Amino acid sequence: MTLIEIRELTKRYGPVCALDGLTVTVRPGRVTGFLGPNGAGKSTTMRMLLGLDRPTSGTALVGGRPYASYDEPLRHVGALLDASAAHPGRTARDHLLTLALTHRIPARRVDEVLEETGLASAARRRVRAFSLGMRQRLGLAAALLGDPSVLLLDEPANGLDPEGIVQLRRLTRRLAQEGRTVLISSHLMSEMAQTADHLVVLGRGRLLADAPLDEFVGESASLEEAYFALTAGSAEFTHQEGTLS
Amino acid sequence: MTALALAPVLRSEWAKIRSVRSLLVALSAAFVATVGVTLLVHATVGRSEADNADFEPVYGSYFGLNFGHIAAVCFGVMAVAGEYAGGGIHLSLAAVPRRGLFWAGKLLVLGAAALPVGLATGFGCFLGAQALLGEYGVGLGAPGALRSAVGCGVYLALLTVFSAGVAAVVRSQVGALSVLTPVVFLISPVFAGVSGIGKAVSFLPDRAGQQILHPVPEGPLGAWSGMAVMALWTALAAAAGWWSLSRRDA
Repeated sequence: MTLIEIRELTKRYGPVCALDGLTVTVRPGRVTGFLGPNGAGKSTTMRMLLGLDRPTSGTALVGGRPYASYDEPLRHVGALLDASAAHPGRTARDHLLTLALTHRIPARRVDEVLEETGLASAARRRVRAFSLGMRQRLGLAAALLGDPSVLLLDEPANGLDPEGIVQLRRLTRRLAQEGRTVLISSHLMSEMAQTADHLVVLGRGRLLADAPLDEFVGESASLEEAYFALTAGSAEFTHQEGTLS
Repeated sequence: MTALALAPVLRSEWAKIRSVRSLLVALSAAFVATVGVTLLVHATVGRSEADNADFEPVYGSYFGLNFGHIAAVCFGVMAVAGEYAGGGIHLSLAAVPRRGLFWAGKLLVLGAAALPVGLATGFGCFLGAQALLGEYGVGLGAPGALRSAVGCGVYLALLTVFSAGVAAVVRSQVGALSVLTPVVFLISPVFAGVSGIGKAVSFLPDRAGQQILHPVPEGPLGAWSGMAVMALWTALAAAAGWWSLSRRDA
């Protein structure tokens, strides 16, 4: 039972306010979809949860503690942030090994996650030759490496083929059923409608909605329609400001 | 406790170097280019130069360093800037959130990888050059000879760590190389002969560190005081890198 607790989290980059007093709790045992237009603050939130970016104010805790206070954080939180994170000159297996070594995770576990993400046959190929979809799978494998109770996945479906998307959906559902906390951002509304139990929607760095999927969709014809109705104002604002993340 | 925490980081950082071909190539190039140029020059014009009054058989052994040390710069820069290219630094710091620990591990491994290659380069240059000089050659027992070969190794290791520090501040391979190459290739060699500023130039990291290659160093810095100045530069660059890593968002 590991909670993600975000309290009054604010991040300013100079005059730009990327995140403006976000307060939300992400609970275990379900898939929480993290939605919002480009520049809404989703990636910023995830980076601050991982201690990569320093909040201007507020706190972001995992299991009641700041991420950076864990001795072996990958055993508690697994994250997929950038599909391009693996060095193009390294093989998939070596990439995961460099991470595993920091936590004394055995090479056997590396082979397990490669198998689990469908990369076993490409394990000894250099990442340079990987398609975007394969890089996403590798990012997912890295997130799973420490068998963590919390997963943060930033647009993991990007570049996946239809088979990959189905596998990702099954995987995230299973991880949630095992009692893990799964936070997954995406711009694919139909995919979110099939994957998420709960939604957290951001716009212009603020919380727009924090509700179960059914409740969020409500009377609307689809998740997509409900989403557009809610975020219309924020998307337009973001466009005018020309901020992209 | 800290040593216990450092060991896995060291293993991971070593695996990072070992697993990328371009890093291994850069590191080997420091040896191959330095020793290769030295041997080539000595094989062709070595003995005819030996008649000159200002002929320095010891210092001349390291002629190839003028070309080879840029490979050490590249090695240090690529190892650090490569982390920033695609967001790999996010993963690295997610795995090792204690940034001081991460940085210490990376620099220790880079220095430890460069030192033996540098020592091999130093001894390879000296012994190879002296062998080609034949009757004009001197042995490792000659004044300053052993010191120069060891010094060459220390020089290349410090240059690697110095370059890594600069790369952590600049966070880009092209950016870091465009800062470091002019220093190593242009400013030092060109301005060293200009009266007035020549003295200041001799305090630049590469000039200062290369004093040890001379049996009788000239100018304001001696063999070891020059190396100390270079070590100071290296410490400054490492501290600047640490500051950049710990103070700025990743």
